[in-house]
Amino acid sequence: MSTSNILLDYIKKELAVGSKRNIQMDDDLLSAGIIDSLGVLQLVAFIEEQFNIQMPDEDVVLENFQSVNSLASYLDNFQKA
Amino acid sequence: MNDVIIIGGGPAGSTMGSYLSMAGIDNIILEGAIFPRPHVGESMVTSSTRVFEEIGFLPVMEREGFIHKYGASWHAPGGKEFAIEFAEFPQEGIRQDYTYHVDRSKFDLLLLKHAESLGSKVYQGVHVIRVLFNEDGKAIGVKVMLGGKEVDLHAKMVVDASGRNTLLGNQLKIKKKDPIFNQYAVHAWYKNVDRGTPPTDDFIHIYFLTVERGWVWQIPINDEITSVGVVAEKDVFKNARLDYEAYFNHHCQINPDLARAMQNAVRINDFKSEGDYSYSLENFVGDGYIMIGDAARFVDPIFSSGVSIALYSAKYGSERIRYALEANDFSAEALRPYEVKIREGVAIWYEFIRLYYKLLPLFTHFISSKKHRIEVLRLLQGDVFDRGEVPVLDAMRKYIETVEKSENHILKQNLTAIPID
Repeated sequence: MSTSNILLDYIKKELAVGSKRNIQMDDDLLSAGIIDSLGVLQLVAFIEEQFNIQMPDEDVVLENFQSVNSLASYLDNFQKA
Repeated sequence: MNDVIIIGGGPAGSTMGSYLSMAGIDNIILEGAIFPRPHVGESMVTSSTRVFEEIGFLPVMEREGFIHKYGASWHAPGGKEFAIEFAEFPQEGIRQDYTYHVDRSKFDLLLLKHAESLGSKVYQGVHVIRVLFNEDGKAIGVKVMLGGKEVDLHAKMVVDASGRNTLLGNQLKIKKKDPIFNQYAVHAWYKNVDRGTPPTDDFIHIYFLTVERGWVWQIPINDEITSVGVVAEKDVFKNARLDYEAYFNHHCQINPDLARAMQNAVRINDFKSEGDYSYSLENFVGDGYIMIGDAARFVDPIFSSGVSIALYSAKYGSERIRYALEANDFSAEALRPYEVKIREGVAIWYEFIRLYYKLLPLFTHFISSKKHRIEVLRLLQGDVFDRGEVPVLDAMRKYIETVEKSENHILKQNLTAIPID
């Protein structure tokens, strides 16, 4: 499964609140209220476990968590680096 | 002359009496109230068990059927729950993976009776007016009201365990309000609270509120009764301009999990309030006296630290008094090591509390994280004395600094105004 699919899967199952389950890869996760700040931290914990990386604290910024796609490209770049 | 006079028969005073009696040091406990009497502070941390065991009180705790507390649970305003179980971090020398929730009127009476059974002379309903000092500034006893008359009682050492009354602190004018925390609590007992389902139904539950430093405790007292308290910045209460009932009920609706738990709840006693929350005395010792428990220092109760601090300050204070009696040296210098030890331990609690309020989501993040979970758990159990460095607090501080520095950090909006330097 691709990075973006793994992320989307987890967000749909664990983080998305109520009716907002039909999430697209480019949906704005934060301003659309799909996940809140606690959800972001839960997502960080999931990512660290799933991809066996240590995500730097300073990378938990808006641009990296805007959408599933932006998070996936951040992670792909991170793993290449 | 008496060896030691202890002002106050709460957990700090009774534990002090117990340790001294076990060491063969004669002591008198003067309690102003007639027990049982109600008191706030109904939940404990596991480090308390060590003290109960040392003074032989653990069998009483078990016999009396106090509710076993196996863990703690936090409910975010958005409806997420995070729980920890004490069993995940076994403390050295403590065989139980639980602590207790208590009806304080019953618990405090039992502990006072326990001190008496070990040899402490206990007098209830005796009001201490002030501590007596000689011309050199050494404490030499107390002035009490007995049968409508003022009577002086003398001792080699005076222990102030007067709790939040801070008798000696007020007399010496050395009580300092905490510069950051000015919390206010409104609390009462309820029946029919829906505590949830096993295994977390007997945990303490903390519900976050979306008001400044706001949270609610849910503590099971027995099978039927649950203690519930709303805590927030004093200004939140003042600005609300509501009576206790309306204020309390309004805040119970803020957190959906809490609203559900309180749906059918019926209040069974009057609301009580606690103000002037956090403070410290400039000194915990002086010539001929020491302060223990709340009479020395009080920190925000978010982590149920109060009784544990009272018990450990009694334990370490009694050790220091033993040395003082052996050496016949009751000077502040001789007693100072007690103060250093307690200050260092409570400073860890305080720092933990401060970082917690600074950035609430960070706490839940750290207890969800493999890397930090055990170390946070260790703090939550009250393992704060003789610690030296506490790397997990450094990690929390570093994270907060990163959030402050990073322009678009997602948690930036969650930072509160609390200074962390």
